[in-house]
Amino acid sequence: MIVCEGLTKMFGSVAAIQNVSLEIPDGCIFGLLGPNGAGKTTTMRMLSCLIRPTSGKAHIDSYDISKKEDAQIIRGMIGLLPEVPGLYETLGAYKNLDYYGQLYGVSKQKREESIQTTLTNLELWDRRNEPVGGFSKGMKQKIAIARALIHDPKYIFLDEPTASLDPVAAKIVREYILDLKLKGNTILINTHNLTEAERICDTVALVKNRTVKIGNPKELAKGLFTRRISITMQNIPSNLLKEIEPLGLVSQAQVKGNQLIFNVKNPEEDNPQVLSWLLNQGLKVQFVSEEEHSLEDVYLKLIEEVVR
Amino acid sequence: MRKDLDEFKKQKFVIGSIIAMPIVLGVVLPLVMFVPMVTMVPLERSWDIDGLLQIGGLPDDAVVPFTNQTVGNSSFDATIFRHTALKNATFSYCIIESCIIENTTIVDSTVTNSSLSNSYLMNVTVIRSEGTGLDGRVILAISSDLAFTRTKPSEIDQVLPLMFNMILMIFIIIPATLPTIIATYSIVGEKNNRSLEPLLATPTTDGELLAGKIFSAFLPSMGATLLAFSLGVILLDIVLIPKVGYPLLPNLTWTLSMVLLAPTACLMSVLACVLVSSKVSDVRAAQQLGGFVVMPVVLLMLGVLAGYIFLSPFWIFLIAGLYGVLDLGLFFFAKAIFNRESILTKWS
Repeated sequence: MIVCEGLTKMFGSVAAIQNVSLEIPDGCIFGLLGPNGAGKTTTMRMLSCLIRPTSGKAHIDSYDISKKEDAQIIRGMIGLLPEVPGLYETLGAYKNLDYYGQLYGVSKQKREESIQTTLTNLELWDRRNEPVGGFSKGMKQKIAIARALIHDPKYIFLDEPTASLDPVAAKIVREYILDLKLKGNTILINTHNLTEAERICDTVALVKNRTVKIGNPKELAKGLFTRRISITMQNIPSNLLKEIEPLGLVSQAQVKGNQLIFNVKNPEEDNPQVLSWLLNQGLKVQFVSEEEHSLEDVYLKLIEEVVR
Repeated sequence: MRKDLDEFKKQKFVIGSIIAMPIVLGVVLPLVMFVPMVTMVPLERSWDIDGLLQIGGLPDDAVVPFTNQTVGNSSFDATIFRHTALKNATFSYCIIESCIIENTTIVDSTVTNSSLSNSYLMNVTVIRSEGTGLDGRVILAISSDLAFTRTKPSEIDQVLPLMFNMILMIFIIIPATLPTIIATYSIVGEKNNRSLEPLLATPTTDGELLAGKIFSAFLPSMGATLLAFSLGVILLDIVLIPKVGYPLLPNLTWTLSMVLLAPTACLMSVLACVLVSSKVSDVRAAQQLGGFVVMPVVLLMLGVLAGYIFLSPFWIFLIAGLYGVLDLGLFFFAKAIFNRESILTKWS
């Protein structure tokens, strides 16, 4: 489990990230969402013991990231994929992985098995000795992920894992990440790809130099937006808006084609009344639905509020 | 370290230059300097004994009188020898006339009209004798209180030690300059390639990381230097043996230099360059600064060329010791100031 309390990093007088408190349970995919410069990478680097926090605490299992003697152990428990793959481009995929396997102290036999399995899964075994400089971005990213996993780490930190990948490669990487979760790994992902976060993260934290909001991506919208209802009818009379608004049940009503869209404070109680009224007017209702707010809406709204 | 060496293998031009530079400087250059010298400078030794010249040297057609007996394998005291071949013996307080003397030790005696070779002489007065076949090295070992001391070294004997010192400096300069490009690139290059962050995120300690970077620059440079040294020595001996009669190299000074001085100079250069590489943000800046780190070796070279320092075993031990202490200090200093955070955050 990863626990952060009031984690802060200052670069001179500039706060990269302030007062971040998180709890990442084992076996969870946790997303750090935020715009560029929000402090996501800084947070990940602090947790990887690459930079020291200015204040605050963080523990990975029982190890303190601020203690020098714990830092080496923590680094051995983590597999880090930085923002850029950072492979040795003149070397082949095999040597890139083998070199890191040695640095992580993986035995020769285990390294050979692990590299063969990984490269075979990534369909790169036949090209294992080709310099990776000639590989596509997607392939490099896959090798970089394999490098982060060479020592079978408990915690996997992925900084923008699908950035600059084409949709097919991004999908492969996302599926790979979900497979890792099934194996019991705890995964921390930095991303500003909201669709990705919504698809794969169990919990997300919106950050903008501080923690803005933490929660399940599907539940974050609750309480942030007024609930908006859409009713599709066969025909909508032109005077409908003038007649419905004075009832006091709806607000900001508008008509789009044969849809009536409006806000209600409490859909569970107000919708039946609105529907009864519409039916009494002789209108034929076809569909009733609640407009959903994506994580992107949540993100934009929250970030906008922070910026303001 | 293994990764860096694997990367070198892929860079054919880098390998080529690492091997070519020492060979050009350490093999071709000495040959170019030595071959004309040994062919042009006279090799014959001449007598340099004032007393002998005053008495008068042997005429050109003089020969040592015939000998009718051979004396040897014993010690003689207060004895007179005439027309005798004296071999493998020791003589004290003797008068030796018209003898052929080989492999002897003569003390407090007088030698007249004789031929000397391979002998140790102390307090000996030599009159009208010749030194045909006298070994210069043996003569050099004779103590200074001799009436007959030694032959004057030939010009080549005088020039060779100076030349050897200069050539030897090439084999100290090469390992000090060769690794600068590789070593200055070591850390800042990883940063520029964006491969430093995953490397720093491994459990490798600062010391291990630095040691890997140091040895990956040190080993190819020293390897290439030793290769050039071996080739140079073999070729020099091939050229010089017909002229001087025996293999001149490698002598004690050269061997000590390659075992002690060259590695410590190389290590010092590598350490300083890695230190620079960990503190600057640009490869060009690192390489520019790397040019300064060979200064201690350049100072040594200037001392040798100016004649202030003659590389004897004593000087080699002294300088190598000094370089060794500097190497240790540099390593611990580099380790102390190696800061993952500043490397990652202040180089953008």
